[in-house]
Amino acid sequence: MGKLLLATLAVFLAPIVGGLIAGIDRKITARLQSRFGPPILQPFYDVFKLLGKAPMMMNPWQILTVWVYLLSSMLTVFLFFMGSDLLLIFFVMTIGAVFFVMGALSTQSPYAQVGAQRELITMLTYEPLIILVFVSIAMVTGSFKVSEVFAYGKPLLYQLPLMFIVLGYALTIKLRKSPFDISACHHAHQELVRGVLTEYSGPQLAIIEIAHWYDVVFILGLVGLFWATSAPGMIILLVVTYFAELVIDNVTARMTWKWMLQSVWCWGLALSVLNLLWLYAG
Amino acid sequence: MDILVFATVVLPFLAAIALLLLRDKGSRGLIVVGTAVVLAAASLALVGQGAFEYAPKSILGISLDGLITLLDFALLFVILVIAMTKLKNPLVAALTAIQIVGLIYLEFFMMDHGAAKAAPAMFADSLSMIMVLVISIVGSLICVYALGYMPAHEDHLHLARTKQPRFFFYLVAFLGAMNGLVLANSLMWLYFFWEVTTFCSFMLISHDGDETSVKNATRALWMNMTGGVAFVFALIFLQKTGTGLYLSELLKPGFSAAGAAALIPLFMLCYAGITKSAQVPFQSWLTGAMVAPTPVSALLHSSTMVKAGVYLVLRLAPAYSGTMLSGTLAMFGAFTFLTTSALAVGQSNAKKVLAYSTIANLGLIIACAGINTPAAITAAIVIIIFHAVSKALMFLCVGTIEQKIHSRDLENMRGLYMIMPKTTIVALIGVVTMLLPPFGVLMGKWMAIESAAAMKYMPVTVMLALGSGLTVMFWARWAGILLSTPYPKGIPAEPQPGTVRGPLVLLAAGAVLLSLFVPFLYGGLIEPAVRSSHKAAGFVLDAFNFVNQQGVFYIYPLFLVLGVGFYFAWKQARKVEAADCVGPYLCGAQSTGDDKAFVSTAGANVGYQASNFYLTWLFGEERLTGPINMVSGVLLAVMLGLLLGGVI
Repeated sequence: MGKLLLATLAVFLAPIVGGLIAGIDRKITARLQSRFGPPILQPFYDVFKLLGKAPMMMNPWQILTVWVYLLSSMLTVFLFFMGSDLLLIFFVMTIGAVFFVMGALSTQSPYAQVGAQRELITMLTYEPLIILVFVSIAMVTGSFKVSEVFAYGKPLLYQLPLMFIVLGYALTIKLRKSPFDISACHHAHQELVRGVLTEYSGPQLAIIEIAHWYDVVFILGLVGLFWATSAPGMIILLVVTYFAELVIDNVTARMTWKWMLQSVWCWGLALSVLNLLWLYAG
Repeated sequence: MDILVFATVVLPFLAAIALLLLRDKGSRGLIVVGTAVVLAAASLALVGQGAFEYAPKSILGISLDGLITLLDFALLFVILVIAMTKLKNPLVAALTAIQIVGLIYLEFFMMDHGAAKAAPAMFADSLSMIMVLVISIVGSLICVYALGYMPAHEDHLHLARTKQPRFFFYLVAFLGAMNGLVLANSLMWLYFFWEVTTFCSFMLISHDGDETSVKNATRALWMNMTGGVAFVFALIFLQKTGTGLYLSELLKPGFSAAGAAALIPLFMLCYAGITKSAQVPFQSWLTGAMVAPTPVSALLHSSTMVKAGVYLVLRLAPAYSGTMLSGTLAMFGAFTFLTTSALAVGQSNAKKVLAYSTIANLGLIIACAGINTPAAITAAIVIIIFHAVSKALMFLCVGTIEQKIHSRDLENMRGLYMIMPKTTIVALIGVVTMLLPPFGVLMGKWMAIESAAAMKYMPVTVMLALGSGLTVMFWARWAGILLSTPYPKGIPAEPQPGTVRGPLVLLAAGAVLLSLFVPFLYGGLIEPAVRSSHKAAGFVLDAFNFVNQQGVFYIYPLFLVLGVGFYFAWKQARKVEAADCVGPYLCGAQSTGDDKAFVSTAGANVGYQASNFYLTWLFGEERLTGPINMVSGVLLAVMLGLLLGGVI
């Protein structure tokens, strides 16, 4: 019962946390670029403004797909805080990712089409890595369940340092940060306009933004699993990791999807195999 | 028992003969639908009866063993004659001749026909019954669909005289052969039905009779014939070592303790399964089989032929459990899963995407058989069931779409909803049930990855993870294209013969409902099937959720939340008015009236085009097939080499 309550609470709090993280992200990024930056609550203002706009779309499928995306992201967070099966949670998250791409593909818009293809490539890049992260967690704790990680007693980081870097790749891709912001850049000034997001506007865009916040909370939850033994340790790990993401975002340029696929698969796989071998030998 | 075995195995052959003789359309429809109903009912009744052993002795005074032997030789001689006269293919002829010689040696120089039978000729446990259900229900639906499909197919070919009687003869006989195959305990019987499926598939693939189809059918024939040769060698080997030629003998505990003497025939049989399931490097016969009319592809891919291969590998799993063969099979299956998923990404031909995805799923099943834990065997059976339903559905959808838009290219399916809305929705259901939770295929994938991880089988796990990412890519892309449409102003009605729509709707409903009732399916059939070969069950049901040491898969919570959420999303989408809809964003200068063009500086309307990434530089057939065939050939050679190393 306690788990159910926690999970429900998490579903309510996740968008608030996710929005705040987005706000802090924008503030720090601005400072790194010698700008003043918007207020920390700006993402919420944006979303509320978007929600108030008249809906505009190309076809009804877009509405269907954004709602399914939001639903699956909420369910992902819910299952995570229920202490459920990591692989199952990931597959539930995939529902949202797939519907999000389907919505963009449904529009017959050249920018959205190209963006959707690139989004598919990003999925192709991070999905195997995240599965391998889960497999390595299962190898350490003997189970895919989140609750078992908390019951394990030692920080996973000790045994899975390389897997943490692999998760870092996935995190960067999922957060759409440079050098992997190839499907929908934060800064709408590139050749793709906003890629996979081009044809979403008003309330639909707001829903996508909220769903994205849920995703961010989930991915940061995964990062937190690597130091599940103490709350301060977890918070420090999260802050350090996220700050590292910001720095990487600001010091790198966007690379091509070919480069991303090849380099991330190579490095991600090499690191995963090394870490798994180490576990296997140990 | 007599009557049920008769209805599932012999009746389809009788119906096939009737279809050949009664050539008019009316009686054809009646026979096919009638057979379908009887088959489905008999398969359900068979399940109701429970496990059985059955030793039919004779029919009309002729010994059945003798009859099967006679038919076996007759069949091989027919193939030999076809190979020498029509095909003029020395390879097929040689492979057939080797089997004939081997069989003569086995039958007349090795076997003691007077001896008492060591075991019944037929038996059924839960695994056989699951197979009978898949064959009889999914297969029958495909035959019914063919009734609506074939007239349009023949119109297109402008035939002077219909070839449908012959077509339906092989189609329906195929079902009988498959049922015989999965119910056989005697390896001689199994071998006979095995060769019947090879022959039927050859005749069906070459049905249109043009040069390409004959060429592709011939390739299918010789590749499967190498499996047949391996099968005969396995029989001879087993006879030599004194093991009775019965599955039940191979499955006795401690069989593999005989070492290489046991493992070599097991490898031979698995090799036959691998050729039949079109695993790499034999994938080309199944992709080549796409030239056949769609019902043939659907039948080969979902409920027959390729499923016979994985059935045999899975059936033998307890016999090679814990041996090196098991581990290498897991590697081999995972390699097939990964590489054919990659090949599927590189395809824009919808049928080829389906074909490669079939091979990938079969690879996953073989990988699971190789992992050989109760959870992995559960995964294999789950995938067999759900893949059969969803893949049959997808093939029939593509066939229907192709007859309407005259293309099977994914790019041409943009805006399909405006032409055939009902089929589009059904196809979408097919894609979603192949790809996403909480549906069965995905559940099988979940079980497979978790059991590989539990075994700490690193290369297998890595290949499964990579392959899994690739599958998402090509299915998601296809689903998006199916949705691709401007605001639907006035969706047209979609007329369709009942024999086409019926199977489509039934299969779509089946794919969803079976997933919904999977806990009951598990308790009733899948768990008993796993328990018959392994001591423990793979999963326990806790409030209908699949639970084991490794993890948990929620069924009803997911169905409830996703179902309610999807309904809500659907409601929201229904509220959209035409007035809210606009054309795509084209950087400002949009042409009025044409959504698919922008206005250039010269004032002209310029169209644009966007298409999928197929990544052919990375995943194209030309790029990958060579290396894949080489690596998989080496894998097979290494498997055999290691086993032979044990003998010498």
